[in-house]
Amino acid sequence: MQDLLSFLISLLFRPCIFIPLIFPGLTVIFIMLLMIIWLERKIAAKVQLRYGPLYVFKPLGGVIQTVADLLKDLFQEPIIPKTVDKIAFLLTPIMLFGLAYLPTVVIPVSPTFYAFRSDLSLLLLLTLTTLAPIFTVLMGWASNNKFSLIGGLREGYLVISYEIPMFLSALSMAVLYGSLDLVDIAEAQKGIWGLFLNPVAGISMLVLIYMSTGKFPFEIPEAESEIVAGAYTEYSGIMYGLVMGASYVKLYVLSLVYAILFLGGWNPLPASMMDNPLLPGAMLFAKAFILIAIGVFLRAVYPRFRIDQAMNIGWKMALPFSILAIFISLGIVTITGGM
Amino acid sequence: MSLEERELEVLIGPQHPASGHMRMIAKIDGDIVVELRPNIGYVHRSVEKLAEAKKFLQIIPLVERPSLADTTANNLAYVMALEKLLGLEAPPRAQYLRTLLAEINRIHSHLYGLGIHGVMIGSSTAYMWCFGDREPFIELAQELTGARLSYSYIIPGGVRRELPSRFTEKVEKALRYMENRMKDYFNLYLNNPVTRARLEGVGVLSKEDAIRLGVAGPNLRASGVPYDVRKVEPYAAYPDIDFDIITEKVGDAFARVMVRVKEIQESIRIIRQVLKKMPEGPILHEKYIKAISPKMREYMKETGEVKFPGIFANLRIPAGEAISRVEGGRGEVIFHIISDGKMSPYRMRMVTPSFRNVILFEHLNRGVRVADIPAIYGSLDYFPPEADR
Repeated sequence: MQDLLSFLISLLFRPCIFIPLIFPGLTVIFIMLLMIIWLERKIAAKVQLRYGPLYVFKPLGGVIQTVADLLKDLFQEPIIPKTVDKIAFLLTPIMLFGLAYLPTVVIPVSPTFYAFRSDLSLLLLLTLTTLAPIFTVLMGWASNNKFSLIGGLREGYLVISYEIPMFLSALSMAVLYGSLDLVDIAEAQKGIWGLFLNPVAGISMLVLIYMSTGKFPFEIPEAESEIVAGAYTEYSGIMYGLVMGASYVKLYVLSLVYAILFLGGWNPLPASMMDNPLLPGAMLFAKAFILIAIGVFLRAVYPRFRIDQAMNIGWKMALPFSILAIFISLGIVTITGGM
Repeated sequence: MSLEERELEVLIGPQHPASGHMRMIAKIDGDIVVELRPNIGYVHRSVEKLAEAKKFLQIIPLVERPSLADTTANNLAYVMALEKLLGLEAPPRAQYLRTLLAEINRIHSHLYGLGIHGVMIGSSTAYMWCFGDREPFIELAQELTGARLSYSYIIPGGVRRELPSRFTEKVEKALRYMENRMKDYFNLYLNNPVTRARLEGVGVLSKEDAIRLGVAGPNLRASGVPYDVRKVEPYAAYPDIDFDIITEKVGDAFARVMVRVKEIQESIRIIRQVLKKMPEGPILHEKYIKAISPKMREYMKETGEVKFPGIFANLRIPAGEAISRVEGGRGEVIFHIISDGKMSPYRMRMVTPSFRNVILFEHLNRGVRVADIPAIYGSLDYFPPEADR
């Protein structure tokens, strides 16, 4: 019995199981989702001089409100309009959520703890995150609703304007550290974090992360007062829960990447603590969580941009800045002779 | 491909989070609005026809209903028309109390408009703040009149209630609170770069067009036309009050917002003056006070609440026509009453500012982007029930 238990625990702590299922995978994703949606509403409420979620488990300020919402979503009738393209309509939420979650398997938790190590892991991760918007566009077409169509198109326009500068910003860090391997990149930041070496890349990447996940002021594809809920207009019940969750999961994944690229990943923990995945994992999670919290806080500060203004920011500001970031990286590499 | 095939017709409303009780039929080409037609009438309640079957005093609450955020203007304009027909004028103290309520109402009506506009361009904070900050003023009005929104405070010959005790201090507290909050509004919302980007240069209404289209209220003044009924044709206590007409030059959505913001500050100034200059005296015309029984007159003195004289129940208005104009929060309210000497008006015409401003939907939304539709809609402070009546 004892043996079985310890075997199970050791099995659980094997990277190829721990990473997809616990951290940064499913378990933590769900906890994060519940926490961050509650936190978003609570922060906004604080700024707006109201209470926010309160009555579901009052001692902790309504912290499990999201669980109640999830239960409600689960038991709500999922309405499928007659005129939609059924297969696409039903599959896209699942694909969206799955694709948002998939990149987590590439993320290393400590220098020795990763599901798999590849010298192209950064590239692989970025590629996986770009697949999801295709399904948002598909969702807009499949819903057979004009607001959904406009929402899907807006997502499409936004994708092409944020994706290139975001890749360039991320790759400028790869240039800086001479590697596309996330473990190498994080390990190279033992001294100075990437954000301080190349702040231009850091800032433009952060803004683009919020843009790509539809956080304010870039909440354009689902602008409520303009196009109801964009591509998500026709969804209800748990399917809506999935599509809404997907954008948070994407934010979470990109925040983890950002923490590894710019905030030193699991550093500054000493090497002696790296054997167990929990401490470096917690470190990584804390950094990512702060980024997510900043992202949801912006809701209370900004109205939303118009689509053409957001595209201007992508093409006319973020793109030159990210090209500049590459040159900064090249400059640093030339001066120091490689990190 | 011809242009017509490129266009997509989008029906915005009436089941839409930001359409209000109306429908906008938008023809869009890509992200550009080719044409937008407002489809009004969803909340038509035939106030004018109903009035023909109601007694004169019963019409007071009726005319308030269409524009719930700005009831005093309708109330005042209607009663002023009645008073013109009756040939009497309210005593000075009643005039000041009317002005006081009108300005309190203007502040919370403007906050309502600003809040709705805020959420239309995505700032939920502006929405919550504005609606939260209406509360002190609604509370003030409640203390003065007994109701939160539909006051029915102004009656022929005067007002319904005396100033409550220690009201001046409470008003001063609310005004100071609002002045402090204004700084927050500027810091977070009005000077927010995103707000500016969304509103500046959007939906520009030129001075000539504003006059030609007969636009009313803050929307007219934002285009640089200094027209305010309070100055042009002073009524109530406005002749004695020192205040400025707020105008902006640009005429875009941001100018319309700024006119409202500055009018709130101007209203604060007016309220302070009104409370300072408030004369002593009765709050009801002596003709009606005489009609009240002595016992009830005693009660009136004690509580400050007017007991309606018996003649109000079947108030007969002398035959004739009267037009009255009032500057409400959203603009100029006009009442035209034709009486044939019976207990109900022969015909009552009610021209509301929203009805006059609805033309702007079509005029301003030509060639703008889809996201500008709510930005322009909100900046007009358009209220569908008020336009439909």
